[in-house]
Amino acid sequence: MSNIECTHCNLSFPSEVMINEEPNLHFCCKGCQGVYHLLKDDGLDSFYEKKGKEKLSQPLAVDEDASNFDLESFRQIYIKTTPEGFSSVDLVIEGIHCSACIWLNEKILNDEDGILEANINFSNHKAKIVWDDDIIKLSSIIQRIRAIGYNAYPYKTGVKNSANVNKKRDYFSKLSVAIFASMNIMMIDVAKYTGYLTSMSDDAKFMIHVAEFIFASPVLFYSGIIFFKGAYFGLKNKIINMDFLIAFGAVLTYIYSLYVLYSGNGHSYFDSVAMIITFVLVGKYLEVIGKKNANDTIDTIKSSIPYEATRIKDNEKEIIGVDAIQIGDIIEIKNGQKACVDGKLISEYASFDQSSISGESIDVVKQKGDTIYSSTINTSDVVVYEATSTYANSTFNSIIELLDNSLNTKPKIQDITNELSKNFSLIILLLSIATFTGWYIYNGDFENALVVSISVIVIACPCALALATPIASLIGISWMSQKGVLLKDAKLIEIFNEIDTIVLDKTGTITKAQLEVVNISNKDLTKEQLNILYTLTDSSTHLVSMAIKKYLSSNYDNLEFIKLEDIKQIAGVGIDAKYNNQLIYGGKSQDINSKYTSFEFKIDNRSIVKFDLQDSIKEDALQMVEFFNKQNIDVIICSGDNEEVVKDVANKLGIKNYKANMKPQDKYDFVNELKEQNKKVAMVGDGVNDTLALSKADISISMASGSDISINVSDVVILNNSLKSLINSFYISKRTYKFIKQNLAISLVYNAITIPIAMAGYVVPLFAALSMSLSSLLVVGNSFRIKKDIK
Amino acid sequence: MTDILWLELVVGLIISFSLLGLLLWAVKGGQFDDGKKQMNGLLFDSTEDLNDAINKEKKIKELKANKEKNNLD
Repeated sequence: MSNIECTHCNLSFPSEVMINEEPNLHFCCKGCQGVYHLLKDDGLDSFYEKKGKEKLSQPLAVDEDASNFDLESFRQIYIKTTPEGFSSVDLVIEGIHCSACIWLNEKILNDEDGILEANINFSNHKAKIVWDDDIIKLSSIIQRIRAIGYNAYPYKTGVKNSANVNKKRDYFSKLSVAIFASMNIMMIDVAKYTGYLTSMSDDAKFMIHVAEFIFASPVLFYSGIIFFKGAYFGLKNKIINMDFLIAFGAVLTYIYSLYVLYSGNGHSYFDSVAMIITFVLVGKYLEVIGKKNANDTIDTIKSSIPYEATRIKDNEKEIIGVDAIQIGDIIEIKNGQKACVDGKLISEYASFDQSSISGESIDVVKQKGDTIYSSTINTSDVVVYEATSTYANSTFNSIIELLDNSLNTKPKIQDITNELSKNFSLIILLLSIATFTGWYIYNGDFENALVVSISVIVIACPCALALATPIASLIGISWMSQKGVLLKDAKLIEIFNEIDTIVLDKTGTITKAQLEVVNISNKDLTKEQLNILYTLTDSSTHLVSMAIKKYLSSNYDNLEFIKLEDIKQIAGVGIDAKYNNQLIYGGKSQDINSKYTSFEFKIDNRSIVKFDLQDSIKEDALQMVEFFNKQNIDVIICSGDNEEVVKDVANKLGIKNYKANMKPQDKYDFVNELKEQNKKVAMVGDGVNDTLALSKADISISMASGSDISINVSDVVILNNSLKSLINSFYISKRTYKFIKQNLAISLVYNAITIPIAMAGYVVPLFAALSMSLSSLLVVGNSFRIKKDIK
Repeated sequence: MTDILWLELVVGLIISFSLLGLLLWAVKGGQFDDGKKQMNGLLFDSTEDLNDAINKEKKIKELKANKEKNNLD
């Protein structure tokens, strides 16, 4: 059986299941076929050139009625009116994979009559749409997006959002000015330093100093303003912070350089002023981007909850906003829709996809009276339930609020100032002041006192010490990325070394999140029975069906598809069909063994075979547990799955501590509890249900195969989903940290030798600058040794 | 010689700071809010996209004019 690629989405499927068309067109589903022809008819087939080999997901088939987007209740919440009288809405577009997807959505919307603006952000897939309500309705715009296989959800833009956007723009402007000026100063520096060796005339020297002064001034007074503000607030609270030292050092160097410019004697340091501010500003800018991304994540999660619900009152259905739902209201949800509030099931039976809460991808069957959680998806027919919470108090909204709180109050590692560096800078500052005072009292020469004190600052500050950590971290991080680990912040390396407890999610982290057949009750199936079962399981995309089909394909030869009639999916139960007037059933088994997921195959109600399926443990899981045991790090499994399954996995891996039936809030509370016991916790997860706990941990690690949301809130992403990479992340950070400490020692020894010489007045600022470079080279050279012992 | 260098310096500074001003104006207007999109635009935008941009500007002008007219009526 050969696989071929779908012409629209590029996903590969067996040739037998493809819809073929002339000339040489193959579609995996009607959705892809429809979108392909729609784009072709509209002259938008250049989308395929732009997309190239990029794989898309199959088009989203959304049956929901879009007329809700035109309701007054929706308008009041989400739609704004521009000063010109046009309507504007903010949407999150679902299904975007690449730049071609953005191009297609923008193109198709911008070509629509009545739309003024359709602008989609590549990074967060947020769209801003401005349109004329007299010409086109929002429902038509949404239908247009859905017609090409995407979907859109509205989200509310708050004050925080626009403040973040403005802050990012402000920092970007400041950084642009700083980089622009620093690069120009560096070019001028080439002329300046060459000039020292070739007896440059005083006129030329003056000109160079003027040029550097012009470039350095906006860096100090525009880009560097944030450090002045930080220093001011620090002093107001009686704290000498890093901002103060940077501002003070830069201003002092600037004033001295102005003196050199005016007097024509000595060497100016406008280049140092620009460089110091630029380097530190880069770090600050990254911090601002991190905060903005965190808020974008919250918006994306919020947009995934429905904004309206169908309430049944006095036997009549009405559409109401989710905020209007009261406890006791009867809510109806259709197949594929999400529950917006928690409640109790009134219908006799239903099945729900609870992956957003428990992380488990298998549907959960519910009976009358069972609890329905907000954000879980109804996978059965229309069901009715009674609300037991309002939207504000619902499980999912509580998760969002906690997450919002966590992401915005989590002590950013950037803010944890290196105590050594802080004290060191303060000491240097005091030594410099003491040097100036001492020399001025000693010989009464202001210029000489100033030059010597500046030499003290220049020889010590800031390169070797400033480079000690970043250069080693950079090498460590690049090494990690080669091993499939993406570290979002360099300073996490330090935290990695303090971790004493690691909390692991089960599904997708320790296990492969793929079911495999572990037991089969009857292996002697007839050829006909095998073919019936093979065809039956092929008709469903359910995880269990796919696992059985895979088992059959790899254990039996010459399987063939046969013609089954009346194939019916019974959500959460199984599949029914007819074959030669016999009733065929494949699905849940009556004997429930909680350790396994069971599948039973029946013909005319006679059991033919039963399969036990289980999620298999990743190959390197045992090695990972051994590694952490050696490092004296406690390993704890924390899963939303039931006790039996979690216990089984823990026993197989020799893990003593495990927690089962953990909901997102429970995981969060558990991590919090560990932290209250003064433990340093690393949390490893992959699902939306782990997001809260991830946001609380000292280091949050997620698997790249996990949800976008969990990846966004994580500090570390394991790109290849391998537990070996998790081991590597700990190993490399420990080694990198060792070298950081060595580098700090080198720079401190260097300073201990050179600072007294500078204070004694034996070093002119130019030699101080050269000496500073030498110490930096020592630190850089040492850092390159990190990768020497690759395992 | 020095006069020429001074002239070059002044002209160079005026040009470079003007360009910097232009960049800051673009940043303030939100043109750099989506870095990846800018990058993709540079790499992949074709004549078709440029024509689309011009047509879009025309369409916006027309819609605004019509709206204004309707509001006055």
